Amino acid sequence: MAYDRKQGQHQIAQSSRPDYRLEVGRAEIPVGKPRTFVVLDPERAVTLRAWTSTLIPAYGLRPDAGSIGAAEYIDATVHLVPSLRPALFRGIEEVEQIARANTGHPFTECTGAEREDVLRQFQAADDTDAFNMVNDFTYEAYYGHPEVLGALETENGWRGMAPMTGTAMSAFDPSRLSRVLSLPPRYRQVPSDKGGDR
Amino acid sequence: MSRDPAADVLVIGSGAAGAAICKRLSEKGAKVVCLEQGDWVDHNRLPKAHLDWEVRGRRFWAANPNVRRWPADYPVASEGQDPVDVYMYNAVGGSQIGFAGNYWRMAPSDFRVRTLDGVAVDWPLDYEELAPYYSINDIEIGIAGLAGDPCGPPRDPLPNPPAPIGRPGTLLVDAYEKLGWYWWPTEQSITTRAYRGRPACDNRGWCTFGCPQGSLSTADLTYWPGALENGVELRTNARVREIMLSPDGRAIGARYYDKDGVIREARAAVTVVACGGLGTPRLLLLSSTPEHPDGLANSSGLVGKNLMVHVQSFASGLFDDPVDGWEGTWGGTVSTRQFYETDPSNDYVRGFVMSGCRGWSPLNLALQMAPWGSGHHKAFDARINHEISLYMCGEDLPEETNRVELDWAHLDDYGIPGVRTHHQLNENSVRLGRDMIAHAHTVLEAAGATSVRDFGLAPIWGWDLLGTARMGDDPKTSVADRNNEAHDVPGLFIADSSSLPTSAAVNPSATIQALALRAADKIWERRRDWITPT
Repeated sequence: MAYDRKQGQHQIAQSSRPDYRLEVGRAEIPVGKPRTFVVLDPERAVTLRAWTSTLIPAYGLRPDAGSIGAAEYIDATVHLVPSLRPALFRGIEEVEQIARANTGHPFTECTGAEREDVLRQFQAADDTDAFNMVNDFTYEAYYGHPEVLGALETENGWRGMAPMTGTAMSAFDPSRLSRVLSLPPRYRQVPSDKGGDR
Repeated sequence: MSRDPAADVLVIGSGAAGAAICKRLSEKGAKVVCLEQGDWVDHNRLPKAHLDWEVRGRRFWAANPNVRRWPADYPVASEGQDPVDVYMYNAVGGSQIGFAGNYWRMAPSDFRVRTLDGVAVDWPLDYEELAPYYSINDIEIGIAGLAGDPCGPPRDPLPNPPAPIGRPGTLLVDAYEKLGWYWWPTEQSITTRAYRGRPACDNRGWCTFGCPQGSLSTADLTYWPGALENGVELRTNARVREIMLSPDGRAIGARYYDKDGVIREARAAVTVVACGGLGTPRLLLLSSTPEHPDGLANSSGLVGKNLMVHVQSFASGLFDDPVDGWEGTWGGTVSTRQFYETDPSNDYVRGFVMSGCRGWSPLNLALQMAPWGSGHHKAFDARINHEISLYMCGEDLPEETNRVELDWAHLDDYGIPGVRTHHQLNENSVRLGRDMIAHAHTVLEAAGATSVRDFGLAPIWGWDLLGTARMGDDPKTSVADRNNEAHDVPGLFIADSSSLPTSAAVNPSATIQALALRAADKIWERRRDWITPT
């Protein structure tokens, strides 16, 4: 949406470069709905789940992304948008290859620190937008989830339900304007003669 | 080919301007037909009807049509040194359905930019001519705010009180008082109390993600119910391909594809183009004929030129204490026009406004600032509910090199070309923008922020797409005259955001709608000259 940009690295979605955003507009996937994998096989599914949990791990009351269905959300998206499947499959394969090359283990058996190293290595080399896609979908699945929003309210006071329920607020206090109202007008008077076009 | 019965007035586009024209003319008794390439938006599908509204805002509701890809959307390419991230909606209500509701009148000096500051052009009308229509529009939409702002001319009381400002607004008021600057509660097109059958806003916030309860005054909820009641025939899913001309060169309607993709003709004595800053030049350029080889109404060569977008940015201040950043309307705190008018001591002309907003919502904030991995939550927690934001909007001067062109390499679903935008901030805009951002830092620091971050000047937030078929008295330097009629084509009116000769430094919706109401009156005044095509 309109406020959606990454600090210092925003790029406009257009066809001049690989960009998953150009494909997802018609893929409405409700967040938090229980679902099973329909595109990914079990082996790839566990890798993707571990990937999402590495992107956003558990913290305090907040669960890790994998445990609240971020991987299934990604799977559901590529189910509706087949054009995104090649990038996802290639990404999972490359993550596994890097993990085995670095540690000799599958990605799911790596330690947390090893997983982060693997993903950073993949992110640095990725020119397909696959990492960016999985990252952003994981953030979507996480920060749209009722369990996470509930934990945020408890831990940070952020009332995630307010957009559903509204909020009682005090009316604006006009007495705060007393100083401003004592100031002279601050706009230019305009002469009646107008100039020509440039 | 199917030919529909002729109307008095054909309006192309049902957005902020088209809706106002339809209602105004139908009130007077005109038989009006409106063609809208999109459809009604189901309020149950608005993002904010759902808890995962932020996610839906990135997909179904994405403001960039290249992402959203509704059936009526057409491709938009963004080029130039400072490319425009185009935000627009093709639906009943137009781009207003995704706006924040900030609702400003332009200042008298905005109509005399050339005379006062020696740049750009003067408008062919002045503030006093438009003021009555601003007032009519205020009542139609139920604007919220307070009269008496010393930064603008006197005006009638507003129909609704200002929105609550909450803690984010209070922090900014304290800052402005400390700095000794002018400030005022932001005017908004939001019904802060029950108004004309619509409920009072209950401060759900994040207005651009849709307002399921209908308190945000978008054109589908303000002008359209009355227009339909008056008998306006609104044809949705009607994709206009070209304007039609009579043998003697008058506009006599349009050819369009209906919802089944079948070509039809809609004829009328008067044709009004109100498709917005990109859609209007697109249609005019598509409507070329042997007599108008460079596009309709384009003898000046200015159709599609002078694209203005406003010099925009956001700055966010970080506070030690929680700021209750989740409560209230998105743009509904307080604004300053301290720096609106040209200051001779600056190295630029014209000015800017700054409007207080809330904090960033969780998903947006996380994508902006919280890196993935083990440090994610710490970075997120440092800012969630500890930031408030300022939106900055400065005047972008018209430049012929900033433009909209047809893009035949990227077509819509019916084979009609998309558009390419090309934009570069000029030196004045860059200087203004730097000063604007510096002042935003000053405000937030005065409010108590321990640090401030900003988004710079590019890519451009493309909410306001202006000036691409501008009004003026000289046919050599403008596309339409002071009454919005095309210089080159009798019976063809252009009345929307493309009509604005200059951008001013405020969100343009109020001006677009006031200008549309005035254009409707000018059309009606000449009804005895109407020639209804057979």
